[in-house]
Amino acid sequence: MTIKFPDIDYAAIAPLLIMFGVAALGVLVEAFVPKRARHLTQLVLALAGLVAALVVLVTQAETRVVTAGGAIAVDGPALFLQGSIIVLAIMAVLLIGERSLEKGGPFVAQAAITVGSEDDRRQAARADGATEVYPLATFAIFGMMLFVSANDLLTMFIALEVLSLPLYLMCALARRRRLVSQEAALKYFMLGAYASAFFLFGVALVYGFTASVQAAPGRMAGGVDFATIHAAATQSPANRALLFGGLAMIAIGLLFKAAAAPFHVWTPDVYQGAPTAVTGFMAACTKVAAFGALLRVLYVAFDGARWDFTPVLGAIAILTMLVGAVLSVTQTDLKRLLAYSSIANAGYLLVGVLAGVREGISSTMFYLVAYGFTVIAAFAVVTLVRDADGEATHLSRWAGLGRRSPVFAGVFTFILLAFAGIPLTSGFISKFAVFGAALDGGQTWLVIAGVITSMVLAFPYLRVVVMMWLSEPGESTPTIAVPGALTAAALVIGVAATLVLGVAPAPLLNLSDTAGQFIR
Amino acid sequence: MLVLVVVHGLTAVAAPVLVRWLGRQALYLCSLAPFAALGWGLAQTGRVDQGGAVTETYRWVDRLGLQIDLRLVTISWLMVLLVGGVGGLVLVYSVRYFPAGQDGLGRYAGVFVAFAGAMFGLVVSDNLLLLYVFWELTTVFSYLLIAQDPTRRSSRRSAMQALLVTTLGGLAMLGGFVLLGESAGTYRWSQIAEQPPSGPHLAAALTLVLLGALSKSAIFPFSFWLPAAMAAPTPVSAYLHAAAMVKAGVFLVALLGATVGGDQPWRPLLLTTGLITMLLGGWAALRQHDLKLLLAYGTVSQLGFLVAVFGGGTANSALAGAALLLAHALFKSTLFLVVGIIDVSTGTRDLRELTGLARRTPVLAVVAGLAAASMAGLPPFAGFVGKEAAFAAFLHGTGTADLVVLTVIAIGSTLTVAYTLRFLSGAFADKPGVPEVALREPATDWLVGPAILAVAGLGVGAAAAPLDTVLTPYSDTFPAVGSAYHLAVWHGFSGPLGLSVLVLLAGYALYRVGAPSGARLPFDGAAAYRRVMSGVDRLAVELTGATQRGSLPSYLGVILLVLVAGLGGILIGAVPWPENARAWDTSLQPVVGAGIVVAAVTAVRALRRLTAMILVGVSGYGVAVLFVLHGAPDLALTQFLVETATIAMMVLVLRRLPEKFSERPIRTSRVGRIALGVAVGVVAAAMTYVAVGGREAVPLSDAFPGEAVSFGGGKNIVNVILVDIRAWDTMGEISVLVVAATGVASLIFRRSAALARRRGVPVPADQPVTPGWLSAGAGGQSVILEVVTRLVFHTIVLFSIFLLFSGHNAPGGGFAGGLVAGLALAIRYLAGGPDELTAAAPVDAGWVLGAGLFVSVGTGVLAMFAGAQVLQSAVVDVHLPVLGEVHLVTSIFFDIGVYLVVVGLILDILRSLGAEIDRQGVPAP
Repeated sequence: MTIKFPDIDYAAIAPLLIMFGVAALGVLVEAFVPKRARHLTQLVLALAGLVAALVVLVTQAETRVVTAGGAIAVDGPALFLQGSIIVLAIMAVLLIGERSLEKGGPFVAQAAITVGSEDDRRQAARADGATEVYPLATFAIFGMMLFVSANDLLTMFIALEVLSLPLYLMCALARRRRLVSQEAALKYFMLGAYASAFFLFGVALVYGFTASVQAAPGRMAGGVDFATIHAAATQSPANRALLFGGLAMIAIGLLFKAAAAPFHVWTPDVYQGAPTAVTGFMAACTKVAAFGALLRVLYVAFDGARWDFTPVLGAIAILTMLVGAVLSVTQTDLKRLLAYSSIANAGYLLVGVLAGVREGISSTMFYLVAYGFTVIAAFAVVTLVRDADGEATHLSRWAGLGRRSPVFAGVFTFILLAFAGIPLTSGFISKFAVFGAALDGGQTWLVIAGVITSMVLAFPYLRVVVMMWLSEPGESTPTIAVPGALTAAALVIGVAATLVLGVAPAPLLNLSDTAGQFIR
Repeated sequence: MLVLVVVHGLTAVAAPVLVRWLGRQALYLCSLAPFAALGWGLAQTGRVDQGGAVTETYRWVDRLGLQIDLRLVTISWLMVLLVGGVGGLVLVYSVRYFPAGQDGLGRYAGVFVAFAGAMFGLVVSDNLLLLYVFWELTTVFSYLLIAQDPTRRSSRRSAMQALLVTTLGGLAMLGGFVLLGESAGTYRWSQIAEQPPSGPHLAAALTLVLLGALSKSAIFPFSFWLPAAMAAPTPVSAYLHAAAMVKAGVFLVALLGATVGGDQPWRPLLLTTGLITMLLGGWAALRQHDLKLLLAYGTVSQLGFLVAVFGGGTANSALAGAALLLAHALFKSTLFLVVGIIDVSTGTRDLRELTGLARRTPVLAVVAGLAAASMAGLPPFAGFVGKEAAFAAFLHGTGTADLVVLTVIAIGSTLTVAYTLRFLSGAFADKPGVPEVALREPATDWLVGPAILAVAGLGVGAAAAPLDTVLTPYSDTFPAVGSAYHLAVWHGFSGPLGLSVLVLLAGYALYRVGAPSGARLPFDGAAAYRRVMSGVDRLAVELTGATQRGSLPSYLGVILLVLVAGLGGILIGAVPWPENARAWDTSLQPVVGAGIVVAAVTAVRALRRLTAMILVGVSGYGVAVLFVLHGAPDLALTQFLVETATIAMMVLVLRRLPEKFSERPIRTSRVGRIALGVAVGVVAAAMTYVAVGGREAVPLSDAFPGEAVSFGGGKNIVNVILVDIRAWDTMGEISVLVVAATGVASLIFRRSAALARRRGVPVPADQPVTPGWLSAGAGGQSVILEVVTRLVFHTIVLFSIFLLFSGHNAPGGGFAGGLVAGLALAIRYLAGGPDELTAAAPVDAGWVLGAGLFVSVGTGVLAMFAGAQVLQSAVVDVHLPVLGEVHLVTSIFFDIGVYLVVVGLILDILRSLGAEIDRQGVPAP
């Protein structure tokens, strides 16, 4: 018996390989580089790897190929989303690497030390943060990039785990408020494990459904690659309960990562508890990955069942928008507010996904990028507003911030206006693009729900704006720390992108348009 | 036109710098931008007065239909003049209004000019999306202007209200625009208007658009935000709340009305809300003591008037509307500016405190008088011309509806006359018994702006005929009803004139009588606003409380509920179900199954952690029994051992947790959990049933028995699967085991020093340890247990080795053997504590784990060196002197690795979760 190795287009998957290599190197750095030099080494390594991956990705811009034995599809959406993940991850890594705001950085030095013990106080005051966070982050980035280009459900599951497991850990690494952070990580892990299990069960059901179908003459019958599922969706004689059940469970797994209601419950707790830089990373990059995978699954594999899943997912989209919008009204913690806003945005993204036309794909991708830039910038501002106990995230503490440091309050106001979808920000263009695509696709009801919920959602944002500018700063108003070069860079990139994508979105829109074609 | 927008933008950016250099004089420079717009507008008069249009188009975002289409037609030309002219004059006026060195003047100037630019862009936009962009910009800038004085609480609240109401309205309007644009295929209004839209969405689209327009123009039920916004500096009020922003809604109604005026629900909605607003506003104005508030309610009333007139939808009413629009902007901004002067000069705006200003500031009084005359509708002022036209438009209408409208307009105008008089007398008349307030003489150049605007009001009235010529192209776009009306001061003795006289007289009478004090408005929009806001707040709080309790079980419950609902629905839809199934093979199976169910349900009901855990173990044993009944002794053995080892390890952990799950009685939640658990179980089982019942292919495992013997050289299929057929999987799994064990250990042994204890190095004791049985025990344990343990320990270990070697053909194998050996170690630990464990296994658990992994991997690699596949088995039969025939399969070495890994894992867990936790829990002596 000889094993026939699949053909691999190494150039096409080079960005993936680079990220994987960087992550593995990061582990070695942890083991062999002296402690003092680790942070700089890791930071430079991660950033250099990301930039290299981006450069290679750009050279592959025209590649359209299914490779690695049909496991990986490198096509327009995959490349676009991988590029988005890389760019957003660069910003997130910049935030993660910031050490000038707090001695030792925002991460705990040794996560296993009992909270509140003498050792813990010592490490909180002095020790440098753990540098394991870099390999964790790069592994997660690798997983996300694989996630959006996986061409069968098993590869997708592997990618899901590769991206999830590091994230669970990263959530637990906060330097301050460690109990909250650990609780967040545990919740995320437990629920995430369930979601992964559902996904896997769904894969099994779908495999059963495809058993007797060949994707093309001469291919082996059965399988969980998307071409076979696509063929089976119309040809398979098997009980369709398997198809629907499988799709439902796969969707649960993906929607959980995307934070769509009713699988969103973890989001506020985790967003609040995780270190803010990690929250920004999750809010931007995980969202891109989850929706990228969802797009691929729905458009490539289960296209034939569109009429069956659209009403259900549409109801989920509406529920998500409603929950996100209504619940964000009452939030008093900024990170929780942003969490609910991220939930609502998941709803808007779903509207784009369900458009069912090519514009739906491209506008969803545009939305993901635009939202990612804005949300990382928002969390970057959150890291800057601090008092003696670390970040001051309670809303009441932000009252009067505009009087104390107008520049940052101005920046944050701009970000909030972008979230609210005010014109000349990327928020407006992206919402408009998504809703326009949904109208083209005949999903008027989704658009109506979208408009109504964005009206509700504008309320909490505007309330924060009013609070920042129109209140007197009190004694408890925290200071705004002078951002280090890294945070400042991330912030500038995010705000500039939000503005540019609001004023001159045509290049990116066109790019997403040309990239908006899956291959099977 | 785009150039002008850009000029505004640049000026706005430069304004703060200019103000820093030049002080407040810089506002003169800033006013050049709006004046440029005015000048440009005047220059275009010749091109629009014949009904022509000036257009410009620039590409922006093609894919979204978002283009910079600018178009100047008559009505927008009129607005450009107002926006530019009034804007420039107000800026000039602001130089004197603000004291020198006022904080934030630079910001004010910048935002003001930016607002003027946005307003200019709004009125010349032809693309609906572009219009929306400018619309929202005016909202944002107006918010910044209203919030100019952020220290006052009322200012904050009103800014919030204005911002919210207009933003929400704007978003609704966007929805309407999108519906219109998508159904028409273009967002250019001039193109949409050529082929008037129709279809089922039209009514919804129009309603949404009107929501935006009416909220912006403070029409009932959104009127409340305008008076509240009077916290803004007076020049801002004069501009935003008289000439510009509130007119945006009216402008939109005027622009769109020509095309969609006949469609439902355009006309009824506008007439109803407009008229209600007119009456309510006028009535409220009569009751104000603050001059500015009086004007604000007056503005609300006039806006209602305007909306109703434009909503009339005929050529005549449109003409009247345009004239009124112009007139209102002129007189109302004048009056606001006058109030500003009074406020700054005397320090009060309360009409009960002001007295004798007519004598002391005659010029101001004359300016105010001119504007007020226009407001009250005295000939020959602009206000009179407009009002006459409105009366005529509805007087010569056809239906009874027109007569109703006419009546309401007349009543509203009466109110207008009355509050005009109240304003004039309140501000300027001598009031006996009121002490004169101190007055700083206003500078002459301060009066220039208001004076120009007031005189313009007179001039427009006088120039009614040319105005008529200019505006007619606009009104001609509306359907003509009745004979065409023309603007003029004097039409001879006619119905409208009589009505005007009547209104004036009645208004005077009403003023003399005065509004009955204490009469409240029947409906207050602000209260509704507050109710809605607090309702949303409350809903959000309750929803959060209900769904976001931070409890993991409830989160999981939600997800499982969805799973049950979704999959359950699919299953019900999946009938007919597969039928080729047997219920059971032997009658023992249902009995055991029932036992499992009972144990599982009882486990959920248990209050103590230990009980629950043991019950879970019981259901596990039940599964093992099922395996036995199914003829799989090897699986059953493994299952038994795993359950036992799990219980032992869990007990180690549970020692440190509270005994009970919860101190509170949790009956209800337990019932819910049991129900949910049962539901999930049923659904998952049913799904499996459907899936298995749907099998069409031959199972792969059918080939296993034959393959196991011929290739694996063993008769225990399960074991051959583990060490041969699926050896790669096993290798992955034991690697994971090693990693997990290391992870547990590194969590528990936190410092390098503690790792010595993991290695099992005997801790140097104070007393020399006497060698012998039971010497390492800490003492205090049950002697019987210790003795029995010592007696059976070696036997058990031997048995485990037997299992390891016999596993290839009989039940057993490396995994089961390792578990047995591990359990032996666990008994030693339970009997004698950590020291006894060290005595039993004086090795580093890490070494054991590593050795196991090394052996397993090494076996595979050796096979490769031997020229075979990695992990391929070879069968060797040799004859040994003592043992006889030995049937040796090389995979046994692989199994030994597994054995070692499992033993190492349990040893590691006993050391970490057991011994180390004991040590940490006991305070050091």
